[in-house]
Amino acid sequence: METPFTGAGFRPEAAFASAAERFFELLKTFGMPGAGAAGAGRDWSSMAGPLAGQFEAWLKSSQSAGPWFAAANAAFPGLAADFGAAQVGSFGPLPLGTGAAPQQDAQRTWDLVARLAQLQGQLAAHWSEIASTAARRFVARLGATAGGAPTLDNALKLYELWVNCAEESYAATVRKDDFSRLQAELANTSAALLVEQRRHAETLVRAFGLPTRNEVDALYAQLKDLRRQLAELTDAPPAKRAGAQRPAARPAGSRGRKRTRKPRA
Amino acid sequence: MRPFAADAEALFPELTLRIANTLARLRAAQGVTVGCSAKRAVWSCGKTTLYQYLPVVEAPPHAPARPVLICFALVNRPYVLDLQPDRSLVRRLLAAGLSVYLIDWGDPDDADRCVDLEDYIERHLGGCVRHILDSQASGALDLLGVCQGGVLSLCYTALHREQVANLVTLTTPVDFHTPDNLLTKWVRELDTELLQRSGNVPGEVLNGLFLALMPFRLTQHKYVQLLAGNCDQRAVEDFVRMERWIFDSPPQAAVALAEFIRWFYQENRLIRGTLRIGGKQVDLAAIRQPVLNLYALADHIVPPAASAAMERCLGSRDYTACGIDTGHIGMYVSRAAREEIPRRIITWLKERH
Repeated sequence: METPFTGAGFRPEAAFASAAERFFELLKTFGMPGAGAAGAGRDWSSMAGPLAGQFEAWLKSSQSAGPWFAAANAAFPGLAADFGAAQVGSFGPLPLGTGAAPQQDAQRTWDLVARLAQLQGQLAAHWSEIASTAARRFVARLGATAGGAPTLDNALKLYELWVNCAEESYAATVRKDDFSRLQAELANTSAALLVEQRRHAETLVRAFGLPTRNEVDALYAQLKDLRRQLAELTDAPPAKRAGAQRPAARPAGSRGRKRTRKPRA
Repeated sequence: MRPFAADAEALFPELTLRIANTLARLRAAQGVTVGCSAKRAVWSCGKTTLYQYLPVVEAPPHAPARPVLICFALVNRPYVLDLQPDRSLVRRLLAAGLSVYLIDWGDPDDADRCVDLEDYIERHLGGCVRHILDSQASGALDLLGVCQGGVLSLCYTALHREQVANLVTLTTPVDFHTPDNLLTKWVRELDTELLQRSGNVPGEVLNGLFLALMPFRLTQHKYVQLLAGNCDQRAVEDFVRMERWIFDSPPQAAVALAEFIRWFYQENRLIRGTLRIGGKQVDLAAIRQPVLNLYALADHIVPPAASAAMERCLGSRDYTACGIDTGHIGMYVSRAAREEIPRRIITWLKERH
C-alpha cells in the first residue's frame, strides 16, 4: 500500500482510498469472531495482537516519522526496499569516465548506507512499541463504546477511539529523547549521503571543466559581499541601503529597465 | 470477543457504497481552483513576488488609508488566506476597504541555495515594504505576519521600526523552547551545517515532517471522516482545496532553512535577544508599535505558549493577545478563520488608524 503523502503529486482520492482500505481492515478486526458476544466480563484482549500487528505494518510501510529519510531515499532509490540486497548502481559513486569516485569514497558511501539501515532497524523497534501500546490502550478503553450494533456511526466512534489511542501512544514515544536523537541521526545520515553523492558528481563535473556547485556558491558569496560593500558606499541608513543594493529587484512586468530610486525623505 | 454485537460484515454493503460515493465526489472535485481575489504582481526580487489585491469595494468613508502587507511563511503557500470566496481573510480585509498586499516567496531553486534569512528579511521583505511605501506615498504600513512569516515580520519591525505602524501576528512562535514543542525536540540535534551542504530541501520533506507530528489524524482519520453522513459535494470540494494547499509546499532554500533551524529552533535566539540579521541585533524590546497577536489554543505546530511569550519580550505598551479555540490550520480555514479572526484584525486596525 502506498503512503500518499510521501509520493509525488497531489491525489486526495488515492489518500482516501488508502485510508478507507485501512478502515475496512480495522472493522474486520473489530468484528472478528471471538469467544462470545460482548457482555459482562468484557475481555477483548485477544484483539490486541491483530490490531497491533496491522498498526505496526502501517507504521513501517509509511514514512510518517521519517521524512528526512524519505529525502535520502529519493536520491538513492532502492534504499528502503532491502538494505541487504541493495542494487548495485542504484546509489553510490557514478560509474562514469575519469570522474569515477575512488575506492575510499565508495566505501564511505556504503558505510553511510549501512548506518542508515541500522538506524531504520532502531526505528522499527519504536514502531513496535507504539503499536502494542496503542492496541493495549484501545482494548482497555473499549468499555461503553463496544457492544453496539454494527452501524456506521458506531464504527466511526470505535475508529475515533482507536485514533485517539494511536496518537497518544505515538506522542508518548516520539517525545522521548532517544527517539528525537534517532530522528536527528537519521536526518544527519541522510544529509551526509546526499553530500557524498554530490561530491562524487562534482568530481565528474570538474573533469569536464564545468562549474561545480561549490564554485557557484562561492560566486553567490562574492555577489553578496559586493552588495554589502555597495551599501556601505552609499552611506545611507540601513533601511534605504538595502533598496539601493538590489540589482535583481524590479517592478513586476518590467524587463530589466533601469530605474533610479529616489531616496525617501 | 468482538466490539460489535454482531458481525461487522453486516455493515460492509453500506460502507462500500459510501466509499464509492465519496471516491466519486473526490474525483469530481479534482478540478477545484484555489485563490479567488483578483491581484496583480507589482514588484519582484529573485523568486519573490509582491502582489497587490484589487479593491472589491469603493473605499468606505473613514477607511484606513494605510496599506496592509501580508507576510506568509516560507514553508507554505500564501493562497490559503484567499482560498475561496467564503474562506478568504484577504477578501474580508478588502471588503473592509483596506489596501492589501501579499508576499509570495515563490519556488527557490538551486540558484537560490545560498539565499539566507538576511536576504529574505532585508532584500525581499524589505524590498516589498519599500516598494509599497514608495508607491503609496506612505510613511509606514501595517504588517500582518503569519506563522514563520510572523517571525520574519517581528525581525523586520524590530530592525525598521519607522516603516511599520501596526503589527499583527498570526500563529507566530517567539519562544521556540517551550516544553511542548515537538518540532524543537526533533531538530535539536540536527546538523544544520550538513543540512545546508546537502542542498535545498524539497517541500515534500517538510510536509512529511509536519504530518509526522500527528500522523494518524492527519493522514488517515481526516479521510475516514469523509464517510460521515454530512459530507456533500460542496464539503468535499472544500476539503480538496485544503488538501491541495497542504500538499503544495515549496522547496526551501538550503541556507535560509538551516539558519532558521539553528537560530530559532536550536538556539532560541529571538527570545534570548541574541539574534543578529545582517550584523544588526534584533531586539524585540525595540518594537514599540501596537501589536495584535492571535494564536491557536490547540496548535500542534506552534504551541500557544510559544506565541504567548511575545508579551514579555516586546517594548510595546499597546499589546493585544488572543488565543483562538482552534488548531494551526484552523486559524486559516475554520469558522473562527471566517468570522472571528478577520473581525478582530479589522476592528483592531481601524481603532489604530
